[in-house]
Amino acid sequence: MRHRGIRKLVNVIGAALMALFAAGGFDGAARAQDAPPGDAVEGKRLYLAVGCFLCHGRSGQGGAMNGPAPILAKTAMPFDGFKGQLRQPASDMPAYSEKVMTDQEIADIYAFVEALPGPRPTKDMKIFDN
Amino acid sequence: MSKRRPSPDPDRRKFLKGATLAGAAALTPPVATDAQVIAPAPVAAMKAAPPGPIQIAVETLPPEPDPVTQTSSGGDFMVDVLKTLEIDYLAMNCASSFRGLHEAVINHGGNVKPEILTCPHEEIAVSMGHGYAKIEGKPMAMICHGVVGLQHATMAMYNAWCDRVPVIVIGGNIIEANKRGPVVEWVHSAIDIGAITRDFTKWDDQPTSLQHFAESAVRAYKIATTPPMGPVLLSLDAELQENPIHDGESLHIPRLSRVVPPQADSGAIAEAAKLLVAAEAPLIVVDRMARTPAGMDRLVELAEALQCPVLDRAGRQNFPSRHPLNQTFRRGVVIGQADVILSIEMNDHWGALTAFSDRIVRTSRMLYKPTAKIITLGMRDLYLKANYQDFGRFSDIDLSIAGDGEASLPALTDQVRKLVDPARKAAYEARGKRYAAAHLAMVEQSKSEATIGWDSSPITTGRLCAEVWARIKDEDWSLVGNTINNTWPHRLWNFDKAHRWIGAAGGAGVGYTAPASLGAALANKRHGRLTLTFNGDGDFMFNPGTLWTAAHHRIPILYIIHNNRAYHQEYMYLQAMANRHGRGIEKSDIGTTLKDPNIDYATVARGLGVHGEGPITDPHDLGPALERAIALVKSGQPALIDVVTDPR
Repeated sequence: MRHRGIRKLVNVIGAALMALFAAGGFDGAARAQDAPPGDAVEGKRLYLAVGCFLCHGRSGQGGAMNGPAPILAKTAMPFDGFKGQLRQPASDMPAYSEKVMTDQEIADIYAFVEALPGPRPTKDMKIFDN
Repeated sequence: MSKRRPSPDPDRRKFLKGATLAGAAALTPPVATDAQVIAPAPVAAMKAAPPGPIQIAVETLPPEPDPVTQTSSGGDFMVDVLKTLEIDYLAMNCASSFRGLHEAVINHGGNVKPEILTCPHEEIAVSMGHGYAKIEGKPMAMICHGVVGLQHATMAMYNAWCDRVPVIVIGGNIIEANKRGPVVEWVHSAIDIGAITRDFTKWDDQPTSLQHFAESAVRAYKIATTPPMGPVLLSLDAELQENPIHDGESLHIPRLSRVVPPQADSGAIAEAAKLLVAAEAPLIVVDRMARTPAGMDRLVELAEALQCPVLDRAGRQNFPSRHPLNQTFRRGVVIGQADVILSIEMNDHWGALTAFSDRIVRTSRMLYKPTAKIITLGMRDLYLKANYQDFGRFSDIDLSIAGDGEASLPALTDQVRKLVDPARKAAYEARGKRYAAAHLAMVEQSKSEATIGWDSSPITTGRLCAEVWARIKDEDWSLVGNTINNTWPHRLWNFDKAHRWIGAAGGAGVGYTAPASLGAALANKRHGRLTLTFNGDGDFMFNPGTLWTAAHHRIPILYIIHNNRAYHQEYMYLQAMANRHGRGIEKSDIGTTLKDPNIDYATVARGLGVHGEGPITDPHDLGPALERAIALVKSGQPALIDVVTDPR
C-alpha cells in the first residue's frame, strides 16, 4: 500500500511538473543557474539517437504517445526536473536509467532542447488569419 | 423446395435409373451351370405387379433434356427486394457463390439501386459501407463468398460493430451438400457462415426460400438501422439466387417500418435536469451521440442552456470545434472541476474520465472529484455481447439512463430550461464567459504551438494541418479520416457542420481509413462536398487497392498520406519496453518501421489510376501540391499527396 501511496504522490508531483513544463511556468534565471554545461550539438545527436524525437518531435514541438508528450523547444523546465523526468518519469514516458544515459548526456540533450526555437508570433502569419 | 418441383431434377432421374438397374440385377438369376436346369417360373407365382404406364414411361422414354435457359431467377426477386429498400450500392469482390445475384443486379436491376462497386478486397467493401453510412445516414450492402470472402471481411465488420454503424453483409453459400461441385465449392461452403461473425453482428439469418429472403432482408435492414446500430449478415444459398422462380405470384416484399429511437424515461430526464441545473460546474462528455445532422444542434442547445463545458470525444461530429463551450483540449481541468458529469453515448465512459498509467504496475485514477455525481445517457447498456470486450470498464454511476442520446436531448433541454431561474441564468452567463475566454486562449495557443518547427523537414503535422486548412476553409469540406493522435484539425479548424467529421474506426482495426474514407467520399459526392482524409502510411498499406476503386468509380477524394515511415504508436511502445529493461532503443525500429525501401505512395497511386504527388519533404512545396490536388478533386477525380512528416 505504501508503494502505491508513493507512486500516487510521484504522479501528482509529476503531473504538476508536466503542466508547468508545458506552460513554461519556470523562471528562466533559475533555469540557467541550475543547468550544468552541455553540448547542444552532441545533444542533438543524442536526441535523435535515443528516441526523444519519437514522441516530442525533431523540433521539440511535442506530440503524443498514450497522452500528450510536452513541447520541449525552448524548454522552461529546470534541469533537475528535466533529469528527474528522464530517470523516473511521472507519465508513461520511457525511463532512461543511468545504464543507458549518463548525467552528461542528459545535460547535452537539455542544452539542445533549450536552444531550440520556440513558437513564432502568429499575428503576422497570414495562414493563421482564419 | 418448391422451386424445384416442376422441372425434373437430373440427379433424381439418375437415382431412378440406378434404382431400376439395381433392381433388375437383383432379380436376375445366377448364370446357370451345365449341371443345372432352371425352369421358368409360372406367371401366377411372380410377386411384383406388372409395370404401370408411368413406370413404363420412366423406363422407356428418353430422359428430358437438361434445361439450359430460364426466364426468371431468384436473384431477380432479390434485386427487387434490395430496390424497395433503396440500397444504393452493392460493394463486392466478385465470387461464384453469388454469381446469381451478381448477374441479376447488372441485367435485371440495370446496375442501379444497387450499383455494383468493384473492390479488390472484401475489407474494402465493408469499410466503404462503414464510411458511407456515417455520411449518408443509411446502409449500403456488400456481398462476398460466405467463407473465404467473409473471413477477409471480418475485421471491417468488427470496426462497424464497435462504431455502431449499419452495414448489410451478404455471404454466398451452397447449403445442400449434394449440390456442391468438387473441391472449391466444398472449401467455400459452411453449414453456418454466421458463426464466425456472430460475436460482432446484431443479427444474421440463412433464408431457405425467396419469401424467407424477402422477410429477412427487410428485417436485417430494420435491425441494422435501429439504434444502437450495427452490421448484420445474410447467408444466401447459391441455388436460391440462381434457379427459376416458381411461385412468383405468392411472393411479396414486406414494407419496411422504421423504429423510432427510444427516448429516455421522462422521470429520469427530470432527475438529470435537476442535478445539472443545481450543479456549480456541470460537464457534458459525448462520444457517438450525433446520429443525424440534428444531433449537433441539439447538443449546442443543451450546453448553452446550462452554459457548461463540453468534451467531445469525436466519435461523431457532436459539437462545433469553435463553440466557446467546447473545452475538449482542456480535459483534465474541466473534469477536475466538475461536480456533475453527464456522459452521453460514451463507448468507454471509464476511459474518458480516467488517467491511466501504462507502466510496469498499471494504475489508474479518476480525474473527477469523488463527490461528483455521474449521469450516463445512451444505449450502451442495452446491447452487449460477452466475448469481445468493447464495452469498457464498469463504472460507478449515480443515474444511468437508457435511451437514445440524440432522441432524448430535446426533452432534457426543455427540462433544464424550465428549471433555470433568472438568478441562475446570470450565474450561468458568467460561467459561460469564463469558458469562452479559456476556449479562445486554447485556440491561440494551438496556433502558436503549430508554428514550432515550421520550416523543418520532415514536415511537422502542425504545419501540414495549417497548410491544408488554409486551402479548404472556404470550401464545403468534409474530413473523413485521421491518423492516431493527430489533434491539429480539431484544434485549428472550424468544424461547424454535421458532415465535417465522421469519427474513427471504432475497433481501431488498422486498414479502415483508406476504404472507409472512400465510402464517405462516395456519399459526399452527390452533395458536391470536398472530401479529404489524413491516412497514416501503416494504415494505408493494408488496403492500397482502395485507390483503384476510387479511380474506377470516379470518386473524388483527397488522400493525404501522413508518412512517418513507421507504425509509429508501436514504435513508441517498443521503445518503452526496451527502456524498461535498460537495453537501449537502438533496435526498436525492427518490425515497427516502413523504411528500406521507403514506400513511394505517389507512384503506387499513379499505378492504380490516381493522381499522385510526392514524397513531399520540403514544407515550401506542400502548399502548391495541395492546391493542384484540390483542383483535381474538385473536378471529380481522386488524388493523393504523400507528405513525409515528423512522427506526430
